[in-house]
Amino acid sequence: MTPAPLVLDGLIVGAMLFAIGLVGILARRNLIVMFLSAELMLQGVSVSLVAWSRHHGDWGGHILVIFVLTVAACEAAIALVFVLQAFARTGRLDAAAWQSLRESNLPRVVDRELPPGDAVDMKFPTLTPAGVEPAIDEAAHLQREHV
Amino acid sequence: MFDLDASTLLVLVPALPLVGAILTVALGRLLGPKAHWPAVVSIAAAAGVAITLLVGLGREVLVGNHGESGSAAPVAFEQIQTLWQWANVPDAYVPPADSLAIDLGDDLVAKAAGRPASLPFSIGIDLRLDPLTAVMLAVITCVGLLVAIYSIGYMHDDPGYPRFFALVAAFVFSMAMLVAASNFLLVYVFWEAVGACSYLLIGFWFRKPSAAAAAKKAFLVNRVGDFGLAVAVFLLWMTYGTLNFHDSAASAVPGILGMERLSDPTGYVAGAVGTAICLLLLLAACGKSAQLPLHVWLPDAMEGPTPASALIHAATMVTAGVYLVARCAPLYMACPEALVTVSIVGATTALVAALIGTVQNDLKRVLAYSTISQLGYMFASLGTGILLGFTAGIFHLVTHAFFKALLFLGAGSVMHAMGGVIDMRRFGGLRRVMPITAATFLIGSLALAGVAPFAGFFSKDEILAALHSRGWPDAHAEHHGEASHDAHAILEVPSRPPFRLASDRRTAATAGGIGHDGSMAATYRTLYWMSLFTAFLTAFYTFRAVFMTFTGPTRVPEEAGHHAHESPPIMTGPLVVLAVAATVSGWLLFSTHSLADFLAATPSLACPAVAATATPHAFHLDLAMQGTLAAALGIVLAALGYLGRRSDGPLMDRFLGPLGSLFANRFYVDEIYAAIIVRPLEILAMLCAAFDRSIVDGLVNLVAAIPLAVGAAVRRFQSGLMQRYAVAGVLGTLVIVLALAWSLRA
Amino acid sequence: MQDGISATGSLLAVAVGCAAASVWLLLPRGESGAREYSSRRFGTLLGIVALTLFVATGHRLGGIGEEATFLVVALVAVVGGAATVVTRSPVYSAIWFALAVAGVAGVLLVLGAQFLGVATIVVYAGAILVMFLFVLMLAQPTGMAAYDRVSNEPLLSAVAGAVLLGLLTLFIGRLSAGPATCCAVPSKAKALAGSTTPVAPSPPADSTGSDPLAADHVARLGGELFGRHLLAVEAAGVLLLVSLIGSIAIVSRTPAEDGAGLVARRAGP
Repeated sequence: MTPAPLVLDGLIVGAMLFAIGLVGILARRNLIVMFLSAELMLQGVSVSLVAWSRHHGDWGGHILVIFVLTVAACEAAIALVFVLQAFARTGRLDAAAWQSLRESNLPRVVDRELPPGDAVDMKFPTLTPAGVEPAIDEAAHLQREHV
Repeated sequence: MFDLDASTLLVLVPALPLVGAILTVALGRLLGPKAHWPAVVSIAAAAGVAITLLVGLGREVLVGNHGESGSAAPVAFEQIQTLWQWANVPDAYVPPADSLAIDLGDDLVAKAAGRPASLPFSIGIDLRLDPLTAVMLAVITCVGLLVAIYSIGYMHDDPGYPRFFALVAAFVFSMAMLVAASNFLLVYVFWEAVGACSYLLIGFWFRKPSAAAAAKKAFLVNRVGDFGLAVAVFLLWMTYGTLNFHDSAASAVPGILGMERLSDPTGYVAGAVGTAICLLLLLAACGKSAQLPLHVWLPDAMEGPTPASALIHAATMVTAGVYLVARCAPLYMACPEALVTVSIVGATTALVAALIGTVQNDLKRVLAYSTISQLGYMFASLGTGILLGFTAGIFHLVTHAFFKALLFLGAGSVMHAMGGVIDMRRFGGLRRVMPITAATFLIGSLALAGVAPFAGFFSKDEILAALHSRGWPDAHAEHHGEASHDAHAILEVPSRPPFRLASDRRTAATAGGIGHDGSMAATYRTLYWMSLFTAFLTAFYTFRAVFMTFTGPTRVPEEAGHHAHESPPIMTGPLVVLAVAATVSGWLLFSTHSLADFLAATPSLACPAVAATATPHAFHLDLAMQGTLAAALGIVLAALGYLGRRSDGPLMDRFLGPLGSLFANRFYVDEIYAAIIVRPLEILAMLCAAFDRSIVDGLVNLVAAIPLAVGAAVRRFQSGLMQRYAVAGVLGTLVIVLALAWSLRA
Repeated sequence: MQDGISATGSLLAVAVGCAAASVWLLLPRGESGAREYSSRRFGTLLGIVALTLFVATGHRLGGIGEEATFLVVALVAVVGGAATVVTRSPVYSAIWFALAVAGVAGVLLVLGAQFLGVATIVVYAGAILVMFLFVLMLAQPTGMAAYDRVSNEPLLSAVAGAVLLGLLTLFIGRLSAGPATCCAVPSKAKALAGSTTPVAPSPPADSTGSDPLAADHVARLGGELFGRHLLAVEAAGVLLLVSLIGSIAIVSRTPAEDGAGLVARRAGP
């Protein structure tokens, strides 16, 4: 039987989110943004599943989405641990930092020189300091006698 | 008991050395220092058989002739022994209607009508026994035996000892088969075989680059001659429809040198084809017998062991060319131009080689050029086209075999004693060190120079007589007229062996024949004077060598070490035997006219065309005096220059001047060949090599380079960047899905 | 119908092209200044056009885009998602992600998945997003890094995404043309030429108590979950535990390796 328009709408939205997430994974080089895009894809899938569930009139899609949610959480946790490990080795969150599995006669791919960024350092207004700043005890805030 | 008739003995002569060769190859390593036994024994047995055949046949021909017809007229004798049929292709060749293959002239038209229209290609392993073959076999085996015995001492410590004897035995087998073969194909096969044996013997010490190069040169130069022989064989087949010498009853085709054809005056092709055949056969003979322009290999062939030089390049192999021309005498008689070419080639070669020999310092080289020169004499004699010329040529072949082998073996003895040094400028006065060698060498030199009563005198005199009779035909006509009754060959055709050729009224009418044709007289006069001058030169360079080596103060080079003594008896024995032969054979064979009469019974030489031309033997005192004078002059001049080593060459160099360097450089023939033939071939070879490297290899490399290039291109995708991999994966999946969607649409 | 299909096909192709172009324009490509602004503006414009075209295609194919509420939340979700992907700064990206999650939650609610809508916000925006932000805090360099301003293969990625979306739209739209067009290969032509199947009514009324649209949605969901899928639930719990332990185990190895803590600025491989 033909799905209801709402269902179809839902499917379209799910497809859109999925496609957008795919683009994000393929295109963006920041590991965090890549994982966010992956989560987007999962969300698109969730929407599709719920739409189908509505079409069929049973709980299958819902249940699956719950588990998708669970798995997404676990995956995010472990993935982020790995991202931090990668950052510890290379000093940056760049997917293109890892190229050692290339063919031995190929050179390392290096970014071309970019024009200086347009993100200007924000210059916040400052007051001339008055008075004397109290001496900061470096270790004090680490050990407190009361929480 | 054994059936020891002539046919069995004939088969034994080549078969025994073949067995000897095979045994030496099989058992050589086992026998070690005794490896000479199979070869020596087999060659000795073959020599015994050959002499038996010669004596038996000689008795039969000479005595029988004299007895039956009551005159000294020779009767042709041949006996054919077919071992087996090697090839028989029926209807192989349909000759044109007027071809000599089926039409043998007016008298035999009736026979021609009964001949088949198409001829078979039928080759059998046919051996023939006739006087020429018997003489050649005897010479080959006897000289071979002496050389083999000599080699036991000469090759004593050589690591290739068994190989040498195997090759000598194989050579004797090949040469024996060559002279005993009764069809041109077998002749060609064994022509090549002796060439191969020569190659292997010249290159015996193959690790020496000069020896390997000399062997290659000999083989390649011979190849040119072999090409001539091959084309001649083709032409003979096309012209005569058969390759057999003899008439073959089975195929009813008359052989090229068979009785039927020999008795027919028009049995041989003249004109372009005939002359082509004769000249091609001459080319083959020039290759094998080292005549101009194919003489260049023989001096280099001295790189081989001296016994091999003695056997092959003095006595036997180089005489194969002489044998071939003598055998094909009837063919040549039909083409006078070819005949005179033979003479011109021979005399010119004799002169040129003698000139070069006068300035050589290497004893073996002197003897090599001497060989070329003497072979030139033989060809000059054969080219006179008279029976005397043919028999004189063969006579000289026999005597030359003896004294040249003697000289070579003597040179080998000297070389052996001098530790491998053969440059005459480095030793001298060796008669005190090696008396036997010196004596035998002197005898050989006297024979070579043509001093009476040694062998060379008689044979050389007969050659000069033959040339003289062509050069001054009138002077001989009278002489001939007196002896004409003796000279005419009464030839009859029998129906069974021994054959007798049919007599013909025309034979008497053509008694004038070629021998008295005065048209080429001027040419022959020139050739006569050339030959006389060459005789002078021969004596000169021979005795120059003798005096330089054996007279004067005794000088021994350092390489001799403790070797500088007379050779052991096993080496001097053959020297003595050959010296005896060189002394007596000439006188013996000449005085009884036995060789000449014997040879005149060869079918090729008994045919009317040849036999009617002159006596088989002649002695003219005036010519003998001229010859002796020339020889004496040569000896005296050599003595003046070199006896006692008073001068070591500067005298002659000053005398000859620039000519001397011309002679010393062998008339630059080698250089000319190198420039004209070798260099272009080298360039062609380089071009081919470059083509092979760049294009052929290039193509292969290109084929190999394509996967490399494809791989290199594809490899660039493996950048190590995972996102690019992901993009590729997604795009690939999309392509598949798109394809699926496209195929699933309406 | 066949004409309609081909016209729809070309419309779809145009929509795909626009979408690809807009995504490409919007993705960071290492430009700066005026060029970047103009790219982004143009890209946004094209994106809106593409969205419209997609909706129009879907509408032509099968009556999509008729509910206004749904349209709004869907728009929020999609725009938020798009912004997540194209924003230069990762922090902004995370914030946009939150918006996208909100939109998705709205969509889910409109579709009748009450529990899931809320659960999505709780888990994604509440937990996962916060984790991302913490990581960004630990690992973000000052200023804009080069790798945030450059994309990897922008054109190919944009094309891939757009083509995928086009295909999905096509297939989803085909669904509305009748059950015969969905999967049957040989009879497709007949089916398309033949009927115009009317839009099916809404799903049958709940008779067995498994209808998600019934009143006691969550209770029924719970019953279904812990009834039929109890084992899966327990497994999911174990999975959570394992991932927790795993992440701690991995993290605890880091100091032993380079002994300088997390912030080791060694050169990359």
